[in-house]
Amino acid sequence: MARLSRTWPGDDANGAIKLVRPASGRWESLTLLLAALAIIASVTGYVLLRPQHSGPPTPLSWQVRSFDGLGAVDQAIHSALLPAGEEIIWNNNDTGGWITLERAQEIWLPPFYRDAFWKTNGEVHWQLILPGGHLPHVGSVDEHEDAAAPRTSEVSQATQGQGATVYYGSAGGAPGQSAYLLVIGHAHAGVMWANQATIWVHPDPNAPYPGIVKPESLVGKGWRQVIPYDGTREVERIKGNQP
Amino acid sequence: MSVSTKHRTLWRRCLALLVLIPAIALAGPTAPLGKKLKIGVTLHPYYSFVANIVGDRAEVVALIPAQANPHNYQPQPDDITRAMTLDALVVNGIGHDEWAFQIVKAAGRGATLPIIQANASVALIPIGGDQGGAKVVNPHTFVSTTAAIQQVFEITRRLGELDPANAAAYRQNALAYAARIRALRAGFMTRFATLDLSSFRCATTHAGYDYMMQEFGLFVSAVIEPRHGVAPTARQLAHTIDAIKKANVRVLFAEKNFSLDLAKPIEAATGVKVFALSHITGTAYSADEFEVAMRENLETLAEAVEFTQR
Repeated sequence: MARLSRTWPGDDANGAIKLVRPASGRWESLTLLLAALAIIASVTGYVLLRPQHSGPPTPLSWQVRSFDGLGAVDQAIHSALLPAGEEIIWNNNDTGGWITLERAQEIWLPPFYRDAFWKTNGEVHWQLILPGGHLPHVGSVDEHEDAAAPRTSEVSQATQGQGATVYYGSAGGAPGQSAYLLVIGHAHAGVMWANQATIWVHPDPNAPYPGIVKPESLVGKGWRQVIPYDGTREVERIKGNQP
Repeated sequence: MSVSTKHRTLWRRCLALLVLIPAIALAGPTAPLGKKLKIGVTLHPYYSFVANIVGDRAEVVALIPAQANPHNYQPQPDDITRAMTLDALVVNGIGHDEWAFQIVKAAGRGATLPIIQANASVALIPIGGDQGGAKVVNPHTFVSTTAAIQQVFEITRRLGELDPANAAAYRQNALAYAARIRALRAGFMTRFATLDLSSFRCATTHAGYDYMMQEFGLFVSAVIEPRHGVAPTARQLAHTIDAIKKANVRVLFAEKNFSLDLAKPIEAATGVKVFALSHITGTAYSADEFEVAMRENLETLAEAVEFTQR
């Protein structure tokens, strides 16, 4: 029968205890602790720094959002001015000319075309102001001259040399309605898509033509730029910066 | 060989070249050198838009079957196969065709397929009626004329970037198409001009028609569905019926293919007259589908307004 030995592994022959160090030098605990800390730090960092879904753009003091900053009538006119601006620019790229208000009647172009939309949205008086150095577009579609609206010659004089084409709408009669500017900055770059359109509103529907249509001047005279809340911004809101 | 013989040989060769060059040119391929783009679309109106923009200069491919309901569509294997072959995809992108992104991802085209957001430059408006005080984006930009034209222009601009050789032709086609849509609208505007629109109040079962209403200066007082494609609870329905009665609404627009059943209890409870509008979702894709459906919609809208004038 085998005799049980009282000697533990590590004891030497004299019974003294001999400590055997692990080959790793006891770094396991420290390594485990550091790994746990690293994971916690990473998760915390991701939570704090993860990309946020962007919300609707915040308008500056001189801007207004089309989606929730405009009344129903202003919103409708703004919605019509956007494609009209695009078509006007395309036409200019192709022909070098600008769509006159008479031409707008012939091609039923809202918001200038005098139909039920025009009628229910305040019967705005539109004027075309051509770039400085050109004569103003003489024929307003009105038979009569609106007392509140400036004469086209005065307007043209005020915009001499600015190089912008402006469709100016005023004297709308709907409650809470604004005055409007579709400003097309004409870039003489000789390439397509060089023109850019911006839309401005003034809380006074009878606001006089501002004369100078540079942003700083418009802001000084109480005009506010309309920021369209468009599909691009909505996609950004929903998905971050995906397509 | 004498000098004169050398000259004669040279002249003969030059003459032969002069004859051969036009012959070679004429014998070359007559088909256009650039390949036709294959442009995918997610919704019926986008098929019409793109077909009218590109004419025969590109191929239009519907991503999903014509009869499918885009509100609750589940992607199918064939859709993925189609997506693999596309050169670009036109989407609504703001809540009407989210399934398209699943299809594109499944086809492995997430990084390579150019996505054309038709609404990229459309000024969005909120859903009409009371949405619990919140302003919720209405994604039905295609049930309209002005917003439809804006989308046609946006698609045209992007296609021109992808296919510069045909950009000018696309633009001309887009302008002609826009003129046709405006002519359609103008015809009904003449009819509306004699009517008093100021007192017109309506409700809709589906929040699909705010853009069209906006173009005629009309507004929606109540929407039955609490969210896009979601049926109301009994409590929500009771609340909406209350709102309809208070706003003195006389007309309810239901969706032709989806929500006529929802309109019946409201008609019974409030006495409104129900008219059906189209969401422009038919059984076959075609170039003229948008114009046909919008003509019907505008006809229905005119009848509804005329009804309230009696």
